[in-house]
Amino acid sequence: MEFLIISTLNGVIYGLLLFMVSAGLTLIFGMMGILNFAHASFYMLGAYLAYALSPIIGFWGGILVAPLLVGLFGMLTERYLLRRVHAHGHAHELLLTFGLALIIAEVVKLFFGDFPVAYQIPDDLRFAAFSVFGTDYPFYRVFIGTVAVAMFVVLWLLLSRTRVGIVVRAAERLPEIAEALGHNIPVVFMCVFGAGAALAGLAGAVAGAFYPTNPNMAAELGVIVFVVVVVGGLGSLKGSLLASLLIGLFSSFAVGIDLSLANLLGLIGLGDWARSVGGLLTTEVSSISGTIPFALMLLVLLVRPAGLMGERN
Amino acid sequence: MSVKAKLILGTAVLLGLIIMPPFLDAGWQNALNTMLIASLFALSFNLLAGQAGLLSFGHAAYFGIGAFAALHLMQAIEDGLPIATPLLPLAGALAGLIAGVCAGWFATMRSGVYFALVTLAIAELFHSFAPHLKNLFGGESGISGMRMPWAGFNFGTVLEVYYLTLAWVIVCTALLWAYTRTPFGRLTLALRDNEQRVLFMGYDAHIAKTVIFAVSAMFSGVAGALQAMSNETANYALFASHVSAQVVLYTYVGGATLFFGPVFGAVAFTLFAFLVSDLTRSWLFYQGLIFVLVMLYAPNGIGGAIAYHVRHWRELNWSRLAQPYGIALIGGMLVTAGVVFVTETVSILFGLEYENLRGNAEGGFPEFALLGGTWSPTSPITWALPASLLIGGIWLIRKAIKQINDTQDDNRELDDSVTDKEGVQA
Amino acid sequence: MTTEQANEALTLKKVAKSFGALSVIQGVELSVKAGERHAVIGPNGAGKSTLFNLISGMFPLTAGQILLNGNRISGLTPHQINRAGLSRSFQITNIFHRMSVFENVRMGVLARHNTRFDLLRPISRMRAINDETAEILDTVGLAARADHLAGDLSYSEQRALEIGMTLSTGAEVILLDEPTAGMSREETAQAVELIRNVTEGKTLLMVEHDMSVVFSLCDYVSVLVYGSILATDTPEAISQNSAVQQAYLGEDAA
Repeated sequence: MEFLIISTLNGVIYGLLLFMVSAGLTLIFGMMGILNFAHASFYMLGAYLAYALSPIIGFWGGILVAPLLVGLFGMLTERYLLRRVHAHGHAHELLLTFGLALIIAEVVKLFFGDFPVAYQIPDDLRFAAFSVFGTDYPFYRVFIGTVAVAMFVVLWLLLSRTRVGIVVRAAERLPEIAEALGHNIPVVFMCVFGAGAALAGLAGAVAGAFYPTNPNMAAELGVIVFVVVVVGGLGSLKGSLLASLLIGLFSSFAVGIDLSLANLLGLIGLGDWARSVGGLLTTEVSSISGTIPFALMLLVLLVRPAGLMGERN
Repeated sequence: MSVKAKLILGTAVLLGLIIMPPFLDAGWQNALNTMLIASLFALSFNLLAGQAGLLSFGHAAYFGIGAFAALHLMQAIEDGLPIATPLLPLAGALAGLIAGVCAGWFATMRSGVYFALVTLAIAELFHSFAPHLKNLFGGESGISGMRMPWAGFNFGTVLEVYYLTLAWVIVCTALLWAYTRTPFGRLTLALRDNEQRVLFMGYDAHIAKTVIFAVSAMFSGVAGALQAMSNETANYALFASHVSAQVVLYTYVGGATLFFGPVFGAVAFTLFAFLVSDLTRSWLFYQGLIFVLVMLYAPNGIGGAIAYHVRHWRELNWSRLAQPYGIALIGGMLVTAGVVFVTETVSILFGLEYENLRGNAEGGFPEFALLGGTWSPTSPITWALPASLLIGGIWLIRKAIKQINDTQDDNRELDDSVTDKEGVQA
Repeated sequence: MTTEQANEALTLKKVAKSFGALSVIQGVELSVKAGERHAVIGPNGAGKSTLFNLISGMFPLTAGQILLNGNRISGLTPHQINRAGLSRSFQITNIFHRMSVFENVRMGVLARHNTRFDLLRPISRMRAINDETAEILDTVGLAARADHLAGDLSYSEQRALEIGMTLSTGAEVILLDEPTAGMSREETAQAVELIRNVTEGKTLLMVEHDMSVVFSLCDYVSVLVYGSILATDTPEAISQNSAVQQAYLGEDAA
């Protein structure tokens, strides 16, 4: 029972974290058709910048300023890099973001070394939010979840209730028409890209203190974020949220499940045979918990590329 | 470039590759070996990406499968299977082909970004599954084998392995080249240009794309097998995204629109890694930077840029272009020097050794050694030097570009639209 | 199959198409006899291009059947329909921009000779195919531009290429989608001559806006209005048809 509740809590929060990063990615894809390979790098930059700034302007200062800097970097990237290669087609845009991800990872290693840095939660935040069956549940985890939820609410309100939101949504559907109506679409694109980057940066700044902050974090998170946006539906914010929670919960639970196909086959009397065959049949769910999201992504791509809530093209 | 000139150039390169290696040390022989394997991998990748227009971000899967297949065969030969060692890459080819058919059938159901994501997912599946499959992939430590002697050859020296690799790469390259001359090769290009029209002209595009994928995977499998043969070991790290990334870099920096473009990229990067990786820890950064710069300023890659100049050799006004090209070159060297200086400085100043130095110097900013000189971080020269290199270099390049543009405007418009009879531009 | 039906190259029976709630084509009945030249005209938005897309297999039908030489082709994929003997051109030029004009046409010739997936023989040695390609280029007047990139051709040259490519697969039933769109009077006249020559003995179904083209070329005309056929008759009869004139209010007959 304890396992159930803790895993659920952890799963939801991890899922919300995934959402913070994937929200920007899916928005950018939906609007500009660019799958930003460097998106998880923005997450990493947010963590590292917060780490670098916190000795100077404090922990909260770091969390506030780092996303802004990452957002600025995102805007510059769109304006000076992406726009240049836009004329050469989608493949070149993909490749550019790909190269950018490589460079950012190397620059981070240049400044901060190959090993994880000690970006940590300040002591005064290390308390328990509540207790579950005698185990303390850390406040900071709840904090991460709260930031993500707040972010979703703000985004949703912005997009659906404000003029800015309407322009952005129009630009997503029919950019040429929106431009013909007088809106400065290039600026909209630049700002959306920057905002997406800033969100990922915020996620990094907040989560980096809790999870390890190392130069590999972009690569590790990057693939899972791709899985999330594909399963949720490229371009769909709600889909992204749903898929993030799904995958977050799954990852959280799967780690504790020591069952394998052999167990399943055991139900119909083939257990011993399965165990003698070994290999895949005796691989436990817990050990391949990292693999299943990719299988899910492949399945979605082949069967229903629009994902859970994306639009059919 | 005339056919005759191409033949002469090709023969010269071939002769060099055959004659030179015995005079080089083992390190260089190894490097050449790596270059050959990387070239084949890149050429096979480009069949799919450059010729068919299907950008795959998970080609490591087929490279890796080829490697493992070869190792299994190697072990079988050790155990007595009467197959000649030089035939090992056939296992890679077969494994790559089968994997390519299966993966390709599904992947080519999608296009564009979705296609790329499918290939990515497939490679990631291999990468995360492999460590758990002890029989096939040797779990986390991988599998090893040993090259068995055959027909009097021991295959014990790097040189012998090199010649075996060379033979296979030459054969495969010739096959890939011949491919582009066949009806199916032309179909490949048409698919890239306008898949819809291909469909309406009576071709089953899905099957065609699957075959292309399979052929590409087959040759990638051979490349993987060659690597396994040379290293006598393989593990699941071969399926890592890093490997898929490398082949993408090689191909696009070299030039995807040219047949030999990917070879340029593969050779350049492998050479670069070989020469520079001992000198600096930041060589991956330089690699990434070069890639991004090429994407921004030479979208057809370095090979593409060279090919452009070769193709228009006669029409270009070389006497007028010589000066700005020279200026651009100098500018480029200055910028490179500046970038390297800054990068290495940052690398040192933020490194562990410097931290220790500072600790010993009780918190000051002691001097550091770089490129033969000693520099002080607090001295303005240490920063003014790279700054002026960068600014000066960029200024020179911009000036050169302006001059080049002026020259182009005055020229007759270069007729890029005439192709040879086969419509090939390389 | 009756003798009358056997004569029909292309038959549309109660063909309907809806996109969601929007019904674009309703119950179209059309038959084109072998060797006939048949035009489909109608106001903009009537559904002419959609009809072509349905016949050539780009979209599935919502209802009805399409028969080619008595055999059902509705439900087949575009490439299967092409192999069955029907080839179409596109209103917006749909060529291989980065390949030479020669290669563009050769793609179709290769398909006709069934050498689609030939991985083994060099294409430069395929005499018959290369000769046939040269012939087609000659016929559409592009022999001089054979080695140029298709993307570099002028608009009317590209339209000629478009027709050449449509012919190259050797189909007996040709669909031309607004072949003279965007052309000057002279270019139109040349195009008409070209079309007349190349469709000699074949069955032609074309979408056209230019009535002078329809008059010079076609034996029969069908008028498509709001997704259904208003009338099918000879060009003279159609131009006198009052219902047609009404439907065409605002449309100027050239």
